[in-house]
Amino acid sequence: MSEDHIHTQPWSPPEGYHQVESRVPGVVVFAPEPEHAPDDQAVSYACPNCGANTAYDVAAGGVACEYCGYVAKVKTAQVGRFADDFEFTLETLSQARQGWGTQRQVLHCDSCGADLSISEGALTTVCAFCASNQVNVITSPQETLRPRFLIPFKIPPEETLPRAKAWLGKGWYHPDALRSNVIVRRFYGLYLPFWTFNAMVNAKWRAQIGYQQTERHYNASQKRWETRTRIVWKWESGQVNLTIDDLLISGSAPQHLSHRILGELNPFNLNELVAYSPDFLAGWQAQAYETTLPEAWEMGKKNIRELAKKACYQDMPSNQVRNFTMHADFSDESWRYILLPVYLAAYRYEGKVYQVMVNGQSGVVAGSKPVAWWKVWLAIAAILTPGTFLTLIGLPLALLGGLGILAIALGIILFVGGAIISINLYQHVRKSESN
Amino acid sequence: MEKAIPSEEIVLADQTLWHTDRQPAGCSHCRRVYLVAANYHGTDCPLCRKGILEAQPAYVRRAAPEKMLPFRITQKALLPIYERFVSGVWIKPEDFNPQSLLNNTRAVFWPLWLVDSDVSGPWQMSAGFDYQVESAREVYTDGRWHSQAQIETRLRWETRLGTLDTRVDNVITPALEEHENRMQMTGPYPLEKSHDFDASLLGGAFLELPDIPPETAWPLARPDIDKALTKICQEAAGAQHFRDFTMRARFGEQNWTEFFLPIYTTHYTDDEGQPQVLVINGETGTIRGPRLASRQRGGRIAGIIGAVAGGLLLLALLGLLLTVVFPPGALIAGVTGILGLAAGILAIVVAIWPGQWNRKQGGPRIAERP
Repeated sequence: MSEDHIHTQPWSPPEGYHQVESRVPGVVVFAPEPEHAPDDQAVSYACPNCGANTAYDVAAGGVACEYCGYVAKVKTAQVGRFADDFEFTLETLSQARQGWGTQRQVLHCDSCGADLSISEGALTTVCAFCASNQVNVITSPQETLRPRFLIPFKIPPEETLPRAKAWLGKGWYHPDALRSNVIVRRFYGLYLPFWTFNAMVNAKWRAQIGYQQTERHYNASQKRWETRTRIVWKWESGQVNLTIDDLLISGSAPQHLSHRILGELNPFNLNELVAYSPDFLAGWQAQAYETTLPEAWEMGKKNIRELAKKACYQDMPSNQVRNFTMHADFSDESWRYILLPVYLAAYRYEGKVYQVMVNGQSGVVAGSKPVAWWKVWLAIAAILTPGTFLTLIGLPLALLGGLGILAIALGIILFVGGAIISINLYQHVRKSESN
Repeated sequence: MEKAIPSEEIVLADQTLWHTDRQPAGCSHCRRVYLVAANYHGTDCPLCRKGILEAQPAYVRRAAPEKMLPFRITQKALLPIYERFVSGVWIKPEDFNPQSLLNNTRAVFWPLWLVDSDVSGPWQMSAGFDYQVESAREVYTDGRWHSQAQIETRLRWETRLGTLDTRVDNVITPALEEHENRMQMTGPYPLEKSHDFDASLLGGAFLELPDIPPETAWPLARPDIDKALTKICQEAAGAQHFRDFTMRARFGEQNWTEFFLPIYTTHYTDDEGQPQVLVINGETGTIRGPRLASRQRGGRIAGIIGAVAGGLLLLALLGLLLTVVFPPGALIAGVTGILGLAAGILAIVVAIWPGQWNRKQGGPRIAERP
């Protein structure tokens, strides 16, 4: 500490500092500005050349004006898996950055209840979840955490319909009408919220492990030595260490967006994560998270602990296990709130709504499709017929003797095999139909 | 010195001060200066016990002291303290006994400076903030999962800077050259029990006067002022920890006042006739000082025991000669011989022990001053 008796110039804080609350009168305190503070300013997406609305253009990789051809590259950095993550502090929620950083509004769909954040000016839209146009504006929730990173769209919108048409055309048990061009009219590019979690897990297990032992014993009744196998149980313990890297949990509510379909869109290449910039959202829809961080972390923990349990079982020297217990200690847990690009379309078929999604990064298509059940039942009947027929033929033959028993046996085997195939087919078909 | 202390601070030998009946007096040996009642002129210096207190003018701030810590331990309560202190020494000097120590006891207040100052200027620090992190523990037992949240406290460092314009009050600063030595002798005081200076609480105690003037004490005050400023800035920033604190400070409107702390002093005389001073913290009763054994007494006792040992060995020799005519005399010779040897060993131990004991007596002693 120096003493300066002739110091006369007024002191001013260095750049990048702002005044914060002081708990002692007479003391002024400055702290570094929070990161990305400029993003808190509202951003207007008007073309500097012609004044028309601009939007993020996938092909151009920047904000573009479709009228005059103006393009501005997005100023951001690719951070990939090295993107900053955050600890589970008790004050995380209050400290987390809030808002979207640009003038966005939340549209609430009265039909399905989904909340959509859309650009200023787009007061109404077709709900991407239920194809309803019954939407109205509600205030954006202040408690919404701010997304820090996202993967920009790489698949241009014009590629979505051909991909979807190809996907819809696959599968013999779907209605032929699905191959029509008009069944899906338009995809909506949507940034969906995801939580990613990292953690180190040290899992200690203890269990009785069964070892097969072969021993010889004398069979007094048979008056001979025999070999028999028995299981010897031994208490054993061990530990495994797991590194969980970027476990993805959807931030969308399952009642609005099928987590099954979302899961089929994986994987997303998180090496292409970039720092969040509102430019990426210009002209696109983005969904705020509905599953909160604690809720998502609970889901993540359930997944992780099952992974740890599986790793513990793999650590055991035998498949014979009983009285299994384990403690999974988590450490260095961290999270990120990111946006991932998905094209979403909803279409109606015979009064029922189906969802189709296209991975905006890889182009993978997943969704639900209606089923032409008459085709399925016909197939099942065809599968079961040989067994049934052979059994029926075998019955009178059996009364006459000869090959009848063989035919019945073969018929039953075919029937059982057909039944198994039919059940699997039924379940598969049901799954493809459900959202 | 004249430049450091204004002339109006000189108090003449016959003047009283601070609404007390005390006048300045100095020790003819160690040059320590006290305020004492006139009837104490000519008595021993309570700290060095080698010189006589003589009336003399002194440099004193006329402004009354600000605070004091009165004696909590009474003189009567010193007797058991002395008994415990003395009991560990085997062969003591003649007057190293509780009663003699009690008779020699003097009460003294010794000084500290209290500094007040306006401070302003920019500051900067790395502020450490504690925060809590929730970690998970998942337990699988009896076929079910159980979740346990673990709370862990971590530390985050952030830069904080700003300006400060405040006043620091009552920063304690050494007022004696031998401050460190004095603190070692007394141990810590419960300073939070201090209250405003009150002459009626002085009793018959000597008031030791500062020998470091404020101007000289200022560099000594700075570390504690810096500490106080650091604490203020840390509190302002709401930080639980700090490091790398720097400040470009401007000071003004300084005020220096005395703060008096209580001690008792006593002494005993060692083999060389030198007084060995003991210091007792008047608040906590902590006693420190040399605890010496007497080598002279040890020598005298060893001589007596040695003579007895010689006599016994002589008897043993006679008993040995007696065995020629009287065989049972061997028994007497054996017994007296053993006793003689034991006494001889005891004499050696008694002669050596005081020197060995004294060599082990480290610890603080009252500062020697010419």
